[in-house]
Amino acid sequence: MTKQKRKRKLFRVSMRAREALEGLFFVLPFIIGVAVFFAYPLFISLRLSVSQIDAIIGFRMSFVGIEHFTRAFLIDINFVPMFLIAIRNTLLQFPLTVLLALIIAVMLNKNIKGRGVFRVAIFIPFLLGTGEVMNQLLNQGVENQVLNILDGTIIPYNVLFYFGETVVMGVQNIFGMLVTVLWGSGVQVLLFLSGLQGISPALYESAKIDGATEWEMFWKITIPMISPMMLLVIIYTIADSFLDVRNPLLAYIEGFAFGPGGGQFAYSAALGWIYFSFILVVIGIVFGGMKRYIHTNEAERVKKDVSTKKKRILTIDRKRKY
Amino acid sequence: MIKIKWFRGQWLHITAGKTLMYAFMLVMVAFTSLPLIFLVNTAFKPMEELFLFPPRFFVMRPVLTNFTDLVFVVSSAAVPFTRFFFNSLFVTVSIVFLTVLVSSLGAYALVKFKPPGATAIFSIVIMALMFSPHVTRIPTYMVVNSLGLINTYWALILPNIAVAFNIFLMKQFMEQYPNELIEAARIDGAREFKIFWSLVMPSMAPAWSTLIVFTFVTNWNDFFSPLIYVTSQAMRTLPLALQVIGGGPAGMTVGRAGAVAAATLLMTIPTVITFTVMQGRVMETMVHSGIKG
Repeated sequence: MTKQKRKRKLFRVSMRAREALEGLFFVLPFIIGVAVFFAYPLFISLRLSVSQIDAIIGFRMSFVGIEHFTRAFLIDINFVPMFLIAIRNTLLQFPLTVLLALIIAVMLNKNIKGRGVFRVAIFIPFLLGTGEVMNQLLNQGVENQVLNILDGTIIPYNVLFYFGETVVMGVQNIFGMLVTVLWGSGVQVLLFLSGLQGISPALYESAKIDGATEWEMFWKITIPMISPMMLLVIIYTIADSFLDVRNPLLAYIEGFAFGPGGGQFAYSAALGWIYFSFILVVIGIVFGGMKRYIHTNEAERVKKDVSTKKKRILTIDRKRKY
Repeated sequence: MIKIKWFRGQWLHITAGKTLMYAFMLVMVAFTSLPLIFLVNTAFKPMEELFLFPPRFFVMRPVLTNFTDLVFVVSSAAVPFTRFFFNSLFVTVSIVFLTVLVSSLGAYALVKFKPPGATAIFSIVIMALMFSPHVTRIPTYMVVNSLGLINTYWALILPNIAVAFNIFLMKQFMEQYPNELIEAARIDGAREFKIFWSLVMPSMAPAWSTLIVFTFVTNWNDFFSPLIYVTSQAMRTLPLALQVIGGGPAGMTVGRAGAVAAATLLMTIPTVITFTVMQGRVMETMVHSGIKG
């Protein structure tokens, strides 16, 4: 009897082990990729930030401690102000981007006429390029032209004169903000849209039968169901606005390595680490704060399944682990 | 609410909410189409308008000289332009295919199998989300270099496959997939890969379509990988080749600004096509099983 029991137990363990192995096998390509092209370079970069390079060939370095970090905060007069500006811009822009993207996505998800055209149009800035193409456009001065409503092309002169300078400047600032935010929100809209598509129509139908209004459904169904996507969008937006090509701080950091008079790889790496540890903290706060509100499918099913209390505890536990 | 007679005896209902919504959408669209309008306009601008100061948004006398210029530059280049196009297309399509496969498989396994260390892997993924390739650019170059990949397609493809964002995106979707379906298939005797490929993936269409669009666009427009990992002319991709048209990295030759504008316009066509094809899929509603809670 005992022997049989042991045997069964052994079998079960091996089943689990097999499953885990299979799972690991599926993740393996990703792990290798991350290890080779992310983790290892990251480690080198960390080492680089506390070292000085003795020889470019072979990349030999020797330890110098926190020299580069003290230089960044105490000697470099440009870094700290630029750092603060970058932080301010991000904190101003990201709530706006997320909010606007959500509104646009919800509208695009509705069954409205000309939906396809609207969709493609919203994504144009994203399609034209997150990188070089857009850069070229900006170099040619699109932004300034768009922002410059004062030349009388978009709004006639007499209207401008009527309102006076402060109003016009205010409108122009809003325009500028809108352009920056809208042109950078393509990915966010796309993510929200695909998240919205993941919501079962049955939820809305039953809510409607129960007499819920659109507004209630938005807050009670759409928002909770889209929360996993919301987290992704927020993280993406923060990271993206910090890492944008147009971010002057990034250009500054890169300049030490690749720019004129470059070759200061170690200092560049140190600056990068200061910057990115800050991003890490910001996103960590967001992540920690949002974790409680993230809705997963497992939890949803448990709520319905009141009868099996044990399962409930189990799944909630699993949810926590996340 | 106003009712207007529409064709075929249908009524068009106009409500305040709807009107407001359309107005809002139109304003948004007006803003977002500006870059495209500008791009198209610039491509047709004659030389004197390109350098007009202050610059104008709309073209006044549209001409085709930019495109003929482009054809001339392209036909006189040392490397045929089709090669750049092929490079771009090959690299981008390979990345898209591999990253979709790797990230969906990875996310699926991490979420549904929960192998040992899954939590640790996710922590790394989340951390990786925040680091830009900018920080690790030099060390990554060293890795690619020591693997002997410089000047090969591999150098352009491999570093862009295991992207943290991609697996995170897939993970968010995989979590919503009901475990019961997988278990049922397992009981029916389906092999693990079969479950993944013919059960999970089809209902993940919104997820991987998003991923395809996203990856295609970013990599098609990627400027830095080819700049760093590729030194030979023949291995360049389109974003770098744009510089060749412009007359080299030292700065644009004034005479070719028109050709660059035309080429920029042409370069965006594949991304627009990809998006238009895939966007229908993104909008496909995820299959919701008939499982009752």
